[in-house]
Amino acid sequence: MDTLLSLANGFSVALEPSKLLFCLIGVFLGTAVGVLPGIGPALTVALLLPVTFKLDPAGSLIMFAGIYYGGMYGGSTTAILLNAPGESASLATALEGSKMAKAGRGGPALATAAIGSFVAGLIATIGLAFLAPWLVEIAVKFGPWDYFALMIVAFVTVSATFGDSPLRGLTSLFLGMMLGLVGIDKLTGQARLTFGVPELLNGVEVTTLAVGLFAVGEALYVASKRWREPEEIIPIKGSLWMTKEDWKRSWAPWLRGTAFGFPIGALPAGGAEVPTFLSYSTEKKLCKYPEEFGKGAIEGVAGPEAANNASAAGTLVPLLTLGLPTSATAAIMLAGFQQYGLNPGPLLFAEKPDLVWGLIASLFIANVMLVVLNLPLIGLWVRLLAIPQPWLYAGILVFATMGTLAVNPSPVELGMLFGFGYLGYLMRRFDYPVAPMVVGLILGPMAEAQLRRALQISLGDPMILLENPISATLLGIAFIALVAPFVMSGLNKFKAAED
Amino acid sequence: MSRTIDRPALIVGFLLLAVAAIVAFDASRQTITSNYGVGPTAMPYVVCAGMVLLGLAHLFVAFRDGLPKPEAADGRALLWIVGGLVGLIACIALGGGFIIATAILFSCTARGFGRDALLVDIAIGLVLGTAIYLLFLKLLTLSLPTGPLEALLS
Amino acid sequence: MLTSFFKRGAVAAVALTGLTTAAFAQMELKIMAPAAPGGGWDGTARSMQQALTAAGIAKSVQVTNVTGAGGTIGLAQLIGAKGDGHQLMVNGFVMVGAILLNKSPVNLSQTTPIARLTAEALVIVVPTDSPIKNAKDLAERVKADPAKVTWAGGSAGGADHILAALFAEAAGGDPKKINYIPFSGGGEALAAMLGGRVTAGISGYGEFEGQIKAGKLRVIGVSATKRLDNAPDAPTLKEGGVNLELLNWRSVVAPPGLSDAQKKDLSGAVEKLVKSKEWAEILKARGWDDAYLGAAEFDSFLKTETARVSKVMTDVGLVK
Repeated sequence: MDTLLSLANGFSVALEPSKLLFCLIGVFLGTAVGVLPGIGPALTVALLLPVTFKLDPAGSLIMFAGIYYGGMYGGSTTAILLNAPGESASLATALEGSKMAKAGRGGPALATAAIGSFVAGLIATIGLAFLAPWLVEIAVKFGPWDYFALMIVAFVTVSATFGDSPLRGLTSLFLGMMLGLVGIDKLTGQARLTFGVPELLNGVEVTTLAVGLFAVGEALYVASKRWREPEEIIPIKGSLWMTKEDWKRSWAPWLRGTAFGFPIGALPAGGAEVPTFLSYSTEKKLCKYPEEFGKGAIEGVAGPEAANNASAAGTLVPLLTLGLPTSATAAIMLAGFQQYGLNPGPLLFAEKPDLVWGLIASLFIANVMLVVLNLPLIGLWVRLLAIPQPWLYAGILVFATMGTLAVNPSPVELGMLFGFGYLGYLMRRFDYPVAPMVVGLILGPMAEAQLRRALQISLGDPMILLENPISATLLGIAFIALVAPFVMSGLNKFKAAED
Repeated sequence: MSRTIDRPALIVGFLLLAVAAIVAFDASRQTITSNYGVGPTAMPYVVCAGMVLLGLAHLFVAFRDGLPKPEAADGRALLWIVGGLVGLIACIALGGGFIIATAILFSCTARGFGRDALLVDIAIGLVLGTAIYLLFLKLLTLSLPTGPLEALLS
Repeated sequence: MLTSFFKRGAVAAVALTGLTTAAFAQMELKIMAPAAPGGGWDGTARSMQQALTAAGIAKSVQVTNVTGAGGTIGLAQLIGAKGDGHQLMVNGFVMVGAILLNKSPVNLSQTTPIARLTAEALVIVVPTDSPIKNAKDLAERVKADPAKVTWAGGSAGGADHILAALFAEAAGGDPKKINYIPFSGGGEALAAMLGGRVTAGISGYGEFEGQIKAGKLRVIGVSATKRLDNAPDAPTLKEGGVNLELLNWRSVVAPPGLSDAQKKDLSGAVEKLVKSKEWAEILKARGWDDAYLGAAEFDSFLKTETARVSKVMTDVGLVK
């Protein structure tokens, strides 16, 4: 009851016209900037921090929340329309979304992403309001061994779903893991695979690899077979809006995506990538039309997008309850709090209830605004695909390089972007899946760091992975996921033999 | 079963083995190890082992079915786009600035996709680049690489 | 070479005609943050930009970001801009370590030191339910068995790591044997502390403040000379019997090869900045402590600090 009352109070703060305006500005800026690859919500908030210096605390924090949600949303638009995932969390969305867009189903893809984000954001924000104190107790109990086990689950389930040739899928995955080794080793600070090139010390950016492999690689591939079999891009085929069938196929993935995204996002080192991967592979498993995956299955957009947004709300759980910034954006928002002498954490709820609950209420409002703002825009976005092909792809390449040019315009970084682009082209030619490579780059270093931390704490005893209930359970799940397909096919053969 | 060897698979196999060798060599030269648990060389050796297995598998495949056969590629289209990308890097490296670099990339890519109006596309690229440059500078206070054209704008 | 000669000549000519102060208000500065937008150095650079323009010290200030390798890529670029009297670069304690760790071909002694701006004391904490009550307890444990004391902190070779090593050394333990676990970002290290996964944690005081006040973490000691103004209850490490001081400072440096007039212009501008009320407001809002040192003092401070860090990093085995 207390929570409801506080929330109602929060709404009375957030519904003030001036706060609504801040929220609207935030949502708008966040969406606009989130669309740019390589420039995520974290950077936007950081750059706007000095601007908001003169605003009142509640107003500017509400604006940041709007930017955060808006940025998460904006990333999906480019992933779907241009196949350029602007951040690692929209990678899974790009896989099916871009296929849908090219087949004239961009409208429903964007719609399911928007509504899925809305549903996920709504549920997750409710979770934030009611479950935060309880959830955070569990979240801090996660040790490095548990994270390692979680990464293994992600690895196993994801690599079981990519491509039809295990050899080519695994090759792609291992190349990604190899790229993940490049740079300064987090635990000892020494350089690996940098060959004395200082620019490589920071490692390979996920967005550089993803944009290179996906957007640049695709452009080269399409151009290379332009005469033989020109690619047909159909801006709109059938309904611009989601059909009844689309709704039927979307709602369950939304909910499952939320169920992955919110709790994992609430973990201090959970992140947004793992839940989107888990959601993607789950939907592929459960889908009634598995043959559509790889050609544009709506479930593959609905699930990961919901997971992505739910994890964004999840990140706020440790931020608000413990003052733990667990993502780059949360870290900047923490700086935003501190700029007003506020310290998020156990005391903030007690000391500044107006502010906290106002912020939570404005997350609800930001969510509504996003959907209201974006649904009418879908028609406009989709028409982008009607641009003549030469200009469309030229625009995509300009767009793909823009993020790199803004954040790190060194020739080495640009060279990597195009090198990966060419690699993406070659991989497409010989039918290697490109997504596992990005997955390897994201999960490889995370898994390595967590395992090494775990073993450092246990002084080298690997049993620590099995002694802890959470990690033991997760590793069990991973094992079953790995073995189950073989057992099942064995059983089927056995049955067939009996018949 | 065909008796010919699939060259692409053979090349990929050897490349993977070469990369594995580089990873192993790099790991062997690490000087700092962790005091406790596993050190910075454990993961490279795991990756290396995986790549050796995958490389050998590719060699095996080369004598069987090989990799999927790709269709012939349009070399000129590729050359235009790759040229545009290289042009962009060169332009940034030589201090030509964002706007000119964008114009190069845009016009070359459009050419690669079969448009035959290079001058018009260069003009479009310049306008596009200027718009993006101003947007970044004013809205985000992020300055994109500057050159002679950008100097005129500020 | 020729161009830098001409540039220098031009600036000298301006200075000679007695226009220094007038030219000064017209000064166009470039501040490089050798890190990605959004980080600590970037924050300092953008705050300087804000205060320098608001206080009318400079006509325009442009912030550029050069990312990579702990700032050493930016450093190389700064050293390449020899003789440019309009260029500044933000840097700090962390860069001293990064230069050694990355075996950087350039180092800070090649720059023109302008001023130290801010400093933050680090704090060593333990979870409240830990049997370790004070610095002495912790020191005894480190001395007895360094492996069993796990430290959570920021990146390897950073200020947190160096403090852990210095602590072990001051406690009479072997700094080579410390079990230091780097986490990415303060949040993760803090979570490891709260979950009781590690023995002790190190970070800037601000990062742990909320949890300390909420009674979830206990302060073992702050690495400053005297108790912090905003935390009068937290003892210093010295009070706890561990003779140790370490500040995570931030500063600005300029390219090499500046004329005396150029040096005076730049250090004068920064001095005015530090004394402006706009800067004071920013410091207060961001929770940074003023630790201004002028060009000459900062120069010698930088030398001693570099020597100290390189000794520690060799002791820990980070640099061979």
